[in-house]
Amino acid sequence: MRALTANRLTDGEVVFWKAGAWVERFADAELFEDAEAGEAAEASAKTQQTVIVEPYLIDLIESESLWAPLSYRERLRALGPTNHLHHGKQAEGGAAIEALQHASGAARSSGRVNLIKRK
Amino acid sequence: MYRYDTLDKEFLADRAAEFREQVGRRLAGEITEDQFKMIRLMNGLYLQLHAYMLRIAVPYGALNPTQMRALAQIGRKYDKGYGHFTTRTNLQFHWIKLADAPDILDALAAVDMHAIQTSGNCIRNTTADPFAGATAEEIDDPRVWSEAIRQWSSLHPEFSFLPRKFKVAITGSAKDRTAAKVHDIGLMMRRGRDGAFGFEVIVGGGLGRTPYVGPTINEFLPANRLFSYLEAVLRVYNRHGRRDNIYKARIKILVAALGAEEFARQVKEEWEKIGPAGDLPDTEIARIRGAFVPMDFDTLVNRSEAFEAAKAADPALARFARNNLREHKRPGYTIVEISLKAIGETPGDATSDQMDVVADLAERYGHGDIRVTHEQNLVLPHVKLDDLAAVHAGLKAVGLATPNVNLISDIIACPGLDYCALANARAIPIAQDIARTFADQDRAELIGELKIKISGCINACGHHHVGHIGILGVDKKGEEFYQLTLGGSGAEDAAVGSMLGPALPAGRVAGAIDTMVDVYLRERQDGERFLDTFRRTGVTPFKEAVYADAN
Repeated sequence: MRALTANRLTDGEVVFWKAGAWVERFADAELFEDAEAGEAAEASAKTQQTVIVEPYLIDLIESESLWAPLSYRERLRALGPTNHLHHGKQAEGGAAIEALQHASGAARSSGRVNLIKRK
Repeated sequence: MYRYDTLDKEFLADRAAEFREQVGRRLAGEITEDQFKMIRLMNGLYLQLHAYMLRIAVPYGALNPTQMRALAQIGRKYDKGYGHFTTRTNLQFHWIKLADAPDILDALAAVDMHAIQTSGNCIRNTTADPFAGATAEEIDDPRVWSEAIRQWSSLHPEFSFLPRKFKVAITGSAKDRTAAKVHDIGLMMRRGRDGAFGFEVIVGGGLGRTPYVGPTINEFLPANRLFSYLEAVLRVYNRHGRRDNIYKARIKILVAALGAEEFARQVKEEWEKIGPAGDLPDTEIARIRGAFVPMDFDTLVNRSEAFEAAKAADPALARFARNNLREHKRPGYTIVEISLKAIGETPGDATSDQMDVVADLAERYGHGDIRVTHEQNLVLPHVKLDDLAAVHAGLKAVGLATPNVNLISDIIACPGLDYCALANARAIPIAQDIARTFADQDRAELIGELKIKISGCINACGHHHVGHIGILGVDKKGEEFYQLTLGGSGAEDAAVGSMLGPALPAGRVAGAIDTMVDVYLRERQDGERFLDTFRRTGVTPFKEAVYADAN
């Protein structure tokens, strides 16, 4: 399972793709079971230059019957910094946030790999 | 303190207006992200994990109260009420909106500040001794030379597109509080045989992927020949530095490849071509020096009865005095170090309210002078001993009286994976864990000077290579692990640390430090620091203890 993420141009906020638009909560993100559908969304996202910056697909795993990003970096993006738990998206709390906090998958984030490739 | 002239002010206002227009064009879709990225980086604006980050230059770490209050206000209005002081003595805001950035640059320009040359392959902010103008150790005030370098290197057309970024550090004395030997250029002030002063020039130090303690390429450069010599060094680098591989582009790689002697020869050859015409006239140095005239100090005796009585009555003040005060050149004055390393807090962070209090204290008791150190602390360089109890009380009221400067809980940590797009692992929670482990101040004082430095990736913003104990976050198949190094130093006895052994998971780092501290306390002789004991014993006893524990 995958989701599509980016940062919003105006404020840098982490956002997730949902049916052609962008939402702030990971819990509201569109999930792609089908690789082609995800890639089509990514291609479409890349044309939204005035809305977002640097879209990329992230892999997901199951956590507490919900989905969570597989890589730690992506979970941090979906939650906020661990030194200020009242900053970022995690401040809202609730089951969806807790599922992300308890997820334990490990993998390199494709966002980080892309960043290194671009340098 | 140096004040901007009309030209400087007009330039900054123009630059902010230009950036406002560029942001407008980006938001309107007239320029692409690829086109815009370079422009925003040239104004210090990075895109990180959760938001934009604005890195503001604090030239040679010096701030006046008006500037500090402006930073506090920016933190309050545009960020989340705080800022983060860095190892380059700059300030970063981590929650900036692109749309707000032009207003922030205007607010900075209003107090003679900006974010120019805090990114990109140019000459970055010069680090200077944070005790400049206050310590009796200094031969000359390094701020004079740092300010001259600032003016010379700002928008220097020949050096705005170097192979890679370029960092200079200056000490005013033999004592190094700037990590000069691990800079692209380190300038250490020296007194010549004839009494004139000059600089020992160290080139090609650096951290990151390939750490080097820089070699000395000139034992004594007369101070009045500094700028032609800097130009020669930069020219040789600009001409021969590698542009094909970002990991081999820093000057340290060139100096290592050529050898220090050959590099020095090429610099000398270039320097002779440039000649004294490339130097700043003495009148210009004198003009800049005029901005750093000695403070109007009172004539005092070197003992304050008020301070002694306050210390006797308040053990917390006595502890603060033991750990956070340094000797001032004038009797009756002291240098106050303000730790931004409260136990369990984020190293280098200061809230807007704390910044305001530091500004108020500097204004009321500290000749309006504030410094930022590369160890992510602040300094009030000129405080009367008579006023110390009041300053301590003011700091304590906002959680800034942590008495741990140079102790084990005074830890450098980069923002790491909690914020930074480049990081592999978090640095801040590791620092918090270690600080909590050594929260007992009596034990921390018993351990003595021990510098722990943590980076969340190999770029080494947290200076881990030169930590007495260095910690590097690495990504092992997507999990955070930490490599420990021992025996590094960023001071005048600079050294790159040696690897302890296999990387440890996050949960084991603080415990491993505790184990190594026990080894040190067992092994140390005659007042040795941790670093001295390590240098005598080598890595073996520490390694055996840490990895025996792991079994």
